[in-house]
Amino acid sequence: MTRTLRNALLGTAFGLALAAGPAGAATIKVGVVAPFSGPFGVAGKTFREAIEVYQAQHGKTVGNDTVEFVYKDLDQANPAQSKALSQELIVKEKVSFLAGYFFTPDALAVAPLIDEANIPCVIFNAATSAITEKSPRYVRTSFTLWQNTVPLAEYMAKQGIKKAVSAVSDYGPGLDGEAAFKTTFEKHGGTVVDSIRMPLKSTDFAPFMQRIKDSGAEAVYAFLPAGPTTLAFTKAFSDTGLKAAGIKFFGPGDLTQEPDLPALGDAALGVTTSFNYSRAHDSAMNKAFVAKHKEMFGSTDTVTFSSVGAYDGVHVIYQMIKNGGGGKIDGAKAVESVKGMSWESPRGPLTIDPDSRHVTQTIYLRTVEKVDGKLENVEKEAFPKQPDYGYKVAK
Amino acid sequence: METMFGIAVDGVAYGMILFIISVGLSVTLGLMRVVNLAHGAFAMVGGYVASYAAQTAGLSYGLALVVAVALTVLATLPLERLLYRRIYGSANELAQVLLTIGLTFVIVAGINYLFGPTLKRIPLPEMLTGTVELGPKAIPTHRAFVIAAGAATLLGLWWLLERTDFGIRLRAAVDDPAMAAALGIRTERLYLATFALGTGLAALGGVLGAELLPLEPYYAIRYIVLFLAVVAVGGAGSIFGSAAAALALGIVDTAGKYLIPNFGEFFFYAALILILFRWPHGFFKGRAA
Amino acid sequence: MTSVAERPDPMSDPVSRHTPPAARRDLGWIGIPLVAAVGLAAYWLLPDDLALLTRIAASALFVLSLDLVLGYGGIATLGQAAMFGTGAYAAGIVAVNWINDPFAMLAAGGIAGGGIALATGALILHARGLTLLMLTIAVGQIVQEVANKARDWTGGSDGLSGIDPAPVLGLFRFDMFGRTSYLFALAVLVAGLLVARRIMRSPFGLACRGVREDPLRISAIGGSPKSYLVALYAVAGVFAGVAGALTAVTSGIVGLDSAGFPWSAEALVMLVLGGTGRLYGAVIGTAAFMGIHHILAASDPFHWMGFIGLFLIGIVLFLPGGIASGLERLGGLLRRKEDRA
Repeated sequence: MTRTLRNALLGTAFGLALAAGPAGAATIKVGVVAPFSGPFGVAGKTFREAIEVYQAQHGKTVGNDTVEFVYKDLDQANPAQSKALSQELIVKEKVSFLAGYFFTPDALAVAPLIDEANIPCVIFNAATSAITEKSPRYVRTSFTLWQNTVPLAEYMAKQGIKKAVSAVSDYGPGLDGEAAFKTTFEKHGGTVVDSIRMPLKSTDFAPFMQRIKDSGAEAVYAFLPAGPTTLAFTKAFSDTGLKAAGIKFFGPGDLTQEPDLPALGDAALGVTTSFNYSRAHDSAMNKAFVAKHKEMFGSTDTVTFSSVGAYDGVHVIYQMIKNGGGGKIDGAKAVESVKGMSWESPRGPLTIDPDSRHVTQTIYLRTVEKVDGKLENVEKEAFPKQPDYGYKVAK
Repeated sequence: METMFGIAVDGVAYGMILFIISVGLSVTLGLMRVVNLAHGAFAMVGGYVASYAAQTAGLSYGLALVVAVALTVLATLPLERLLYRRIYGSANELAQVLLTIGLTFVIVAGINYLFGPTLKRIPLPEMLTGTVELGPKAIPTHRAFVIAAGAATLLGLWWLLERTDFGIRLRAAVDDPAMAAALGIRTERLYLATFALGTGLAALGGVLGAELLPLEPYYAIRYIVLFLAVVAVGGAGSIFGSAAAALALGIVDTAGKYLIPNFGEFFFYAALILILFRWPHGFFKGRAA
Repeated sequence: MTSVAERPDPMSDPVSRHTPPAARRDLGWIGIPLVAAVGLAAYWLLPDDLALLTRIAASALFVLSLDLVLGYGGIATLGQAAMFGTGAYAAGIVAVNWINDPFAMLAAGGIAGGGIALATGALILHARGLTLLMLTIAVGQIVQEVANKARDWTGGSDGLSGIDPAPVLGLFRFDMFGRTSYLFALAVLVAGLLVARRIMRSPFGLACRGVREDPLRISAIGGSPKSYLVALYAVAGVFAGVAGALTAVTSGIVGLDSAGFPWSAEALVMLVLGGTGRLYGAVIGTAAFMGIHHILAASDPFHWMGFIGLFLIGIVLFLPGGIASGLERLGGLLRRKEDRA
């Protein structure tokens, strides 16, 4: 009896809270949870800048409603904190959308929340395939390791490479990459002679390089999360003579993300990666995006994959608001309304896959080259319409 | 056999870098009894100064190194006067830990404010790029240089602490500060000089090790555990202990990563526990050199 | 620091020296009801911030466990999160696989935390100073690495999700407004404070303080300093484990960060901020640290780091006993004025 009463009261209170907002011209709030400080602070910065660029280009209103972003700082992977912040955004700030989420555990943590509150959650980065399986209210505009790795492994097999070794950081996305590479590469007739898992906090990569060398492989597939370790890995690869020995180096584009390129220097030259976005992508839309970014923030040094993840995420949120016809947002319906949605983004054509709610996109093969004295990922080949191959693949 | 040799060479190279950065910590900890958790921050400051000097001001690598060490020492000397002097002595461990953590936070925030959060590099001169052949094993020239620099640091420190007047006075002041003061040794100045030595070594390590431990604002926090491990295993204040510890940990870490990469981190910490279990005061019991 | 072991120095711990025991006893008994009252008041005054308040309550219990170890036992540790993480994972694994009653989860967390503390404490507590500090860090790293490797049980780096605790006593559901979570966490914290206070005033607690003040004398009167310390470490491990389980119950997810070095270090900072050896100092420190973080991080995250750094330096230089000692001094000052009046 008390319980029913209590729930009824809560329900009414929540209903009122939602109903009180959208009468006529309303403000629709979007809560963004991301690292704005700490070792990964650059990621949050790219999110915020991309959001501001989008709003500068497309306005802050949809129909009669004003869209407002509320930022919460989550400096490292900390799911309990992620849930607390998201809960605060829902209960206190009364947001209609959750967005952001750089790390997989942080994104996974909010699944029960978004279901209970019926709020869509647009993931700007977290790249483990399994996330969108956990709630029907997740939509993801970034990429997955499977998505980037499958076309790369096919390409490597086509180049006539028979023996390869995989070296990944020992955590969720790394293991995704390893599985995707092994499955695809062996399907196309290659052999993975060694699968190396490296501790996430490694600083010295010389022993791994020795192991790669000893394995007798012709090429290496490597994945490490963007940041200082990636830098040390790429440097070690060229320093220890593997590059000179003719071993080819492939990996997802996290390895050569744009903000790290100046520090990588010439060690990065010639590294071939596959990714969904390069700052140097040749399209009118990307040029406009980069130019606007430069105009607003004075530099394009930080424009990278997480920028377009956020930029397109905001686009999807705007579309959901539009589809709802203004006013109150029904999370489940809003997500339903963008399934199958296609549009042109700075990175190329995108479609939201109705099943996985993850973007199907073009994956580019890029090589690091000097363009006007600045290192860039120059696109060499394009593999259009790549879905998330990892969706519902048994682990 | 070739593999063993390879592991040994890589391990020594890694160990030497650990040694250069950690020995400064060992000096301040062992000789002045200060748990200086800001040591990593000082190393980082040195690295950033060198990066700025080489990239923006256009100095050569060698000159940038000298400038970095000198500026870092100059910048941190006031800290000794204002902060560290109040917390000397083994009675203040907790206060030392907190004060230096606080200082580290301030430096991290400051570096981030001044230089931004992205990685910074110190461009290497032509001479130090490429590889050198050591028998069947090719190692980067830069690492060979670091090994040599580490050996030179080791000898230099040993000479300074064991063979000079400064070293004798310092060891006297460490063993019995009151008696040393009574004998007319100006312990305050001595401490200032030792502090300068410690931060100078930190800056040196920060610059030389930048290839392996890349410079970013969180450097100060990210690697401090590593440096503390070396000092704990080596025995605080012992120069040769630090060298032995750094080499041992470097080789264990390298061998673990090579042989069983999936359990790389395990190896390092398991070795740490075992060594400290056997030698709770480090390889060389904590006293000067 | 390393030399402490060689020259046992009764003055070696600064923390206990700053307040006269009488003043401490005074506030000691008001402390706990005060925590309960302020906690309940916060429930009514800040109904929108329950998520934050819940995290503060659970974290305060963790910092309390560190106070037992450091404030009463004088054991310097940077690995307390090993027990917190073990407790959190134990509770999560129990909930996902077998039984999701919140009290059962707390029990599982407490047993796991105490167990790991007992096992590792017996192994490492012979050491002192920097050596001990490194050993505690190493234990924490190994626990974290085990959690990373045992993906089938812990979810590895993805975190252990899908923890769905049953309603408390079958009546109060853990909803997204966080009312149940907060009151539950507050109740556990207050219970924890009461138990900790009881333990620390028992002969065992007094013996532990004795070990900190003068281990030699304890041996002389026939006690074994090490076994007291190991027992204290295990008791604190139970508290840390319960705190971890409490976080698992209220947040429904456990990540690798819960056993990480940063969390241990942060707890130390919070404890010393509040004041060691007082129990409620842990609560004050946690509330101050996390509350200020919450406010400052909203404006500019990096200013937060600079600010907390300066704050720490200030505490060390001007208020070595932490915020609690400041309050006590203030209390003493007021009382003196009253006496005069």
